[in-house]
Amino acid sequence: MALQNEDKLEVGYSSLHPKPKKWVLLMLRLLAFFATAAATVVMGLNKETKTLVVATVGTTPIKASLTAKFQHTPAFVFFVIANGLASIHNLVMIMADLFGQKLDYKGLRLAMIAILDMMTVALVSGGASAAAFMAELGKNGNSHARWNSICDKYKTFCDHGGGALIASFAGLILMLIISVMSIIKLLIKPKPDDELESTGLIPSGVNACRFNSELGKNGKSHARWKKIC
Amino acid sequence: MIKPKRLLSLLLRFIAFGATLAAVILMATSHEKGTFFAVSYEAKYTDTPAFKYFVIANAIVTVYGFLVLFLPPGSPIWRLVLALDLVFIMLLISSISAAMAIAQVGKNGNPRAAWLPVCDQVTKFCNQVTGALVAGFIALITYIILLLHSIYNFLNPLFEKA
Repeated sequence: MALQNEDKLEVGYSSLHPKPKKWVLLMLRLLAFFATAAATVVMGLNKETKTLVVATVGTTPIKASLTAKFQHTPAFVFFVIANGLASIHNLVMIMADLFGQKLDYKGLRLAMIAILDMMTVALVSGGASAAAFMAELGKNGNSHARWNSICDKYKTFCDHGGGALIASFAGLILMLIISVMSIIKLLIKPKPDDELESTGLIPSGVNACRFNSELGKNGKSHARWKKIC
Repeated sequence: MIKPKRLLSLLLRFIAFGATLAAVILMATSHEKGTFFAVSYEAKYTDTPAFKYFVIANAIVTVYGFLVLFLPPGSPIWRLVLALDLVFIMLLISSISAAMAIAQVGKNGNPRAAWLPVCDQVTKFCNQVTGALVAGFIALITYIILLLHSIYNFLNPLFEKA
């Protein structure tokens, strides 16, 4: 009777279909990747050139062309770098979710994912807020410091910057949700016991809690199994 | 009497509370008046929304830090504190980043946008803002250490078997 239960369990767990919660996390990561990648690309390609007539010599006007590029402002440079790193992080996490289920380092896989997620949230929040306040300065100027607004001259530059900011904030909110979910996974999922794995009764990586309840019904070593959950 | 782990956590939280309080006070009391070639100017922290955001964000975190100092060790609210720590770290980073972006423009100017640096005329204001930013950084690093400490404490029972 015990052997039958073990066979039933092995068949049930060897298929390893991702549970509904994993699809939610994967979809969120995909959306966050698109959002941060869009922010990086839109701000990275943000450039506007304006030519104005500076003086007239005789009949030929002398034109000067001024460009507004994102590299002129350190805040926007930080924004592009932060969002670029965030999209790389999201891509790596998606790949690890899809193809690297077995990758683990001393059982610290979930902890590493949670900490990396937190670091990326911090980075993106810093970049997004710096760029947001710099954009506000460019749009409204600052009368106290005698800084004029530049958005009336470079309208397309400001519009594209605004779009990139919106995408980055959307990505930030998504990544905050993902980070919270990663931390919850870290705190709730129990660690499989090494002793059990060495006996060969459980395939590695299986959630030991489920296995316990089946064996518990047969009355096998109640106290020992219960401790793991 | 008090466990060393609890003492360390309490000490770190006190340092973080003190740092955010210092950041708020330094930024809020930074104002300078002067004349520059018969043009009178006044620099206050309310001139820029970035500095206002910095003061508001650090004030919120100060109140939160003060409340958490009095939380008894065994209560289940510590799980909520773990989540709130992450949210407030994000708030702190965002406020420091915004204030630093504007402060950098104030110090170095932006020649392409015809924005002149302001720090030469209002040195005391600039120094106080720099001090507030440094205090903000210290608070941020302390909160990050506290977050990692909290996660490690929650995970400890699971690591004991290994």
